[in-house]
Amino acid sequence: MSTRDLIDMALRNLWKRKLRTVLTVLGVVIGTVSIVIMISIGIGMNESFRQQIEQWGNLQVIQVNNYGAENDPTKKIKLNKETLNTFSKMEYVEAVTPVVTEWMYLTCNKKYLADVSLVGIWPETMEAMGYTVVEGRTLTAEDKDAIVVGGAVAQQFYNPKLNWEMRWNSEPPTVDLFNDRITITYDYNYGTRNADKKIKDYKVNVIGKMSDSGSNSYSVVMPLEKLEEIQKEKKEYEEKMYGSSSSGSQSKSKEKTYQQVSVKVEDMEHVEEVQQAIKDMGFSAYSLTDELKAMQETTKMLRMVLGAIGAISLIVAAIGITNTMVMAIYERTKEIGIMKVIGASLSDIKRLFLAEAAFIGFAGGVIGAVISFGMSHIVNIVAAQQASQMQSSIPIWLYASAILFATFIGVLSGYLPAKRAMRLSALTAIRTE
Amino acid sequence: MGQNIIKIKHVKKIYQMGKEVIPAVDDLSLNIRKEEICCLLGKSGSGKSTLLNLIAGLEKPTSGEIIFHKKHMERMNEDQLASFRQKYVGFVFQSYNLLPTLTAMENVTLPLIFRRVPVKERNELAMEMLKAVGLEERAYHKPHEMSGGQQQRVSIARAFINRPEVVFADEPTGNLDTKTTYEMMDLITGLAKKHKQTLVIVTHDLELSEYADRIVVMQDGKIDHIEERTAEKERGSL
Repeated sequence: MSTRDLIDMALRNLWKRKLRTVLTVLGVVIGTVSIVIMISIGIGMNESFRQQIEQWGNLQVIQVNNYGAENDPTKKIKLNKETLNTFSKMEYVEAVTPVVTEWMYLTCNKKYLADVSLVGIWPETMEAMGYTVVEGRTLTAEDKDAIVVGGAVAQQFYNPKLNWEMRWNSEPPTVDLFNDRITITYDYNYGTRNADKKIKDYKVNVIGKMSDSGSNSYSVVMPLEKLEEIQKEKKEYEEKMYGSSSSGSQSKSKEKTYQQVSVKVEDMEHVEEVQQAIKDMGFSAYSLTDELKAMQETTKMLRMVLGAIGAISLIVAAIGITNTMVMAIYERTKEIGIMKVIGASLSDIKRLFLAEAAFIGFAGGVIGAVISFGMSHIVNIVAAQQASQMQSSIPIWLYASAILFATFIGVLSGYLPAKRAMRLSALTAIRTE
Repeated sequence: MGQNIIKIKHVKKIYQMGKEVIPAVDDLSLNIRKEEICCLLGKSGSGKSTLLNLIAGLEKPTSGEIIFHKKHMERMNEDQLASFRQKYVGFVFQSYNLLPTLTAMENVTLPLIFRRVPVKERNELAMEMLKAVGLEERAYHKPHEMSGGQQQRVSIARAFINRPEVVFADEPTGNLDTKTTYEMMDLITGLAKKHKQTLVIVTHDLELSEYADRIVVMQDGKIDHIEERTAEKERGSL
């Protein structure tokens, strides 16, 4: 029997018993929808974790620290230029930069002041490190005196001449970061009569603005070279003013090392691998992927339970298919007999019943996938209204595998009945009146 | 007459009904000749239907040999029997045994579907067969829209469509009135003769045996006697 004839006959047989077919398909539809929605909520959960964590920073960036390692004589490792070179040569590593942070002040038009966290990085790596601008551009290798400010920095400015109470009661100054005169200073008395004239301020150009939400909204990103220059002068000033500290003199003699280094990995899949390699070198390495993993681990159980609920309804649907097919065999005993007598092979009979069961599964899968699509949207709309963290997300592969799986369930459920039909004796079958 | 197409040697078929053992066919030997019309005549319970089922490969003998085309049917497995029936055998039943969901045309093409004959070819053949049985106008009717006689014509068309070497007819007219019975018998024997096919008819009706070249009268699972009617028949047709 050719496949075309087989399909034709199977469909015709199903059509003949419309109501029963529809009800059985409905079972599969419910099973498919429940399993797809349950899985999609699980996936959505992971996705919302990811979005949440991505707000804190880039998932592909590993932060490497030298905590303890430098003082441990057994480990001869340092976060120096050489090590950075090693990092950048590692497989899957896209970019490497030291990260230096320092609290200083931004001044605006010599009038206003803002406390900011200065982040010094190698400017050419800015884009790779996941900093994005909403206005202007990111730093490039050519930038020397340029800075990129967080979206919330502009609101941080205040008039240092006013005391706290006055600041609270007055309107915050309006600052045009791109066009006003902006400088960096480490003089905490800047703008007041205690200001130290010996401290110079460093003129910078704002070339970009980052988003006003997320981890970088209060930061100022600038070229590391410039920040180190300022730091050096600050240190010299402080030494002049307050005398040198012991730790400062100690580090002076040694080669330059960094407290923190960021390593950008090409893709998510290899973050763990690179991170482990860095850890193996003796550094402490941390990435947001750790957080994501931990979150996913805690909800694994919940996701499994959701999947199981879906699976149960699909099992019920599978039993439904088996039942329908068994009923069909009882009903069609005579028909099977006739077909056998006039030359249907055993495999023809088996394939016919398997095809019918597969069609029920397939139809249920397709309809189920379509309904899941709608349901997923409804879940998301309702969740959004409730301001719930829950969301449903159905990737294409889930639709495809739902349809395939439903069809497979159909074939599986049809297997025993088909086998039974195959074994029917032709003679007993045609004797049935 | 031609050589033997089916050889039945010491065939026994024993049914076990609880503690009772019923020998439906008891040590029976018979040869079916090529192109003959052979009638198995006997009362109900004489074992004639069982014998037909054995020859057609629908049942396996308890012992003995059935040789068809030099092949031992009692040794074939179900799949081999299915392909054997597909190639060599056609059936006409008392109760027509048409598939109720299919049209007359589709019922007739069914054996060809199982033989993977392409749609166009099999539809042409089926139409030809339906014309031969005088039913071309009812080709697209379902069995329940047809009379008993018409249904039996469809089943005859189905039995003959793949030009089988042997056609088995089990009480083919049992459900039909006298007039239709003769029409049907003329049709079957006419087709068989025309295409030089062997026809084995099982009946309890003495009148039907008129159509046969040879009548095998059965009783209690054994052959009572065999009547050769060739000469007479030939005289009649002259």
